Amino acid sequence: MLIIDKLSYQSKLRYVNAGEKFGFSVATLILCVASRSVLLGILVFAVMGILTVWKGGIPLWRYLKLMTIPLTFLMLNVVILGLSIRRTPLEVFAISFGNWYLTASKETLYYAFQIFVTAMASVSCLYFLSCNTPMTDILNVLKKLRCPKLLIELMMLIYRFIFVLLDCAHEISISQKSRLGNIDYRTSLKSFGTLVSALFVRAVKRSGFLYDAMESRCYDGDLRVLCEDHPPKKKEILMILCFEGLLLAIAVIVR
Amino acid sequence: MMNEVILKAENVFYSYDDGKTHSLNGLSLEIRRGKKIAVMGANGSGKSTFFLCCNGVYRPSEGTIYFHGKPVDYSRKGLLQLRQKVGIVFQDPDNQLFSASVFQEISFGILNLGVPEEEARKEVERIMNEMEITPYRDRPTHALSGGQKKQVSIADILIMKPEIVILDEPAAALDPKHTVLVNQAVDRMTGEGITVMMATHDVNYAMEWADEVMIFRDGTVAAHGVPEQVFEDKQLLRETNLEQPAVLQLFDSLKKKGILKEELPLPRSLGALLQEIERLPSR
Repeated sequence: MLIIDKLSYQSKLRYVNAGEKFGFSVATLILCVASRSVLLGILVFAVMGILTVWKGGIPLWRYLKLMTIPLTFLMLNVVILGLSIRRTPLEVFAISFGNWYLTASKETLYYAFQIFVTAMASVSCLYFLSCNTPMTDILNVLKKLRCPKLLIELMMLIYRFIFVLLDCAHEISISQKSRLGNIDYRTSLKSFGTLVSALFVRAVKRSGFLYDAMESRCYDGDLRVLCEDHPPKKKEILMILCFEGLLLAIAVIVR
Repeated sequence: MMNEVILKAENVFYSYDDGKTHSLNGLSLEIRRGKKIAVMGANGSGKSTFFLCCNGVYRPSEGTIYFHGKPVDYSRKGLLQLRQKVGIVFQDPDNQLFSASVFQEISFGILNLGVPEEEARKEVERIMNEMEITPYRDRPTHALSGGQKKQVSIADILIMKPEIVILDEPAAALDPKHTVLVNQAVDRMTGEGITVMMATHDVNYAMEWADEVMIFRDGTVAAHGVPEQVFEDKQLLRETNLEQPAVLQLFDSLKKKGILKEELPLPRSLGALLQEIERLPSR
């Protein structure tokens, strides 16, 4: 998650209007999931990958490494979906265990493959958004989409304090290590416990300090901030519309 | 105009634990407009508590704070007005910066004052230029260095156009380069006529910079006056664990040896003293 955060600030697509990127990835995601077409999935996966790596300037190996995270989960799912345990063998293959067979049919395998492709394509959509758009920009889009204010303010504060508290945890952990807090398994468990409780206490304290600081700046219950806008470009919107149109056409034809 | 009292505390008490112990213990003081005031004193002597009383975040349990001669009005509207005029730059920027975007962060204060968006946008740009934040404006706050965060936290306050700026140990944990930047920002503020109160442990800086020095002890003001006078009181300095500024010690010892003339006025900085010594005929 921290790597994605770093990448999003370095991305070459960072200053493209966030609404465009959000619309593009969400619309594509919806089409992808709704149609479940393998062809569509492969196309989306390729386009999103190319956009993120080539246009966004995200290093290829980083992108591939990020892709392995959902891959592990997906593999497990595919195995469960694709194979079945039955008393009667199915056509593709069957391994017998006494009276039972571990077996697969063309349909179940294809179904698993379909799910796999759709899921990878969906992940690539979300990666496109999160690798190229800083969190604050995504929040601005949500704000424009009339997401509840409270939710957005919470996300804003949580996002900021993830980093503050991570730093804090890191410091505590280093100071524990320099006093042999992880000398054996028992001690390191105990150290981890104290780290968590110390972190909690500090988080509560910090929230008090933050509230004082915000009150000092005339906070009245509404977190009003200005957003830096990067105006949308007609050409980009047109291209997005064309692409979504193409996807829709494919989805309809394949059906 | 210069000698007008802008902020006044009269016999102020404040307690964090319902009166068992007092962080402020009958504190009384007067702050004059346009002055540069160094606030000194050990940790826990009540500096930070007093600062938060100044802008109405804490309400004294006894005693009164006056702003421009009028007791502080703790209604919603009164507090908003007070907090615009009295800005606090907190010691740890991580306790002050709440947004991951520098631009959003700085715009918070001015929008709370009800300034229209377009104007606020221009002001944010202006203050970012002035505070030399522009080169790293596109970086997220968590990727900034301590010094850069400090710059942003000062911009946070300056954008609200305060009359008094309170800086709580601004140079704590800063490298020399950023200390200079912060000091420059402080000089700009006083140049614009803003009254500045700064908590600091650096006696040499206080001696050189401040018009007045205030020493806090156990929630009251133990001494308040021009630096020459406050730092002359060795007994008090010992009691509050402070040292005499280097320039004062050197000056005294040079005078005692008869190297410098008795009637020479006390220079404020080591540089000024060295110049005096330069002027002496070589032996």
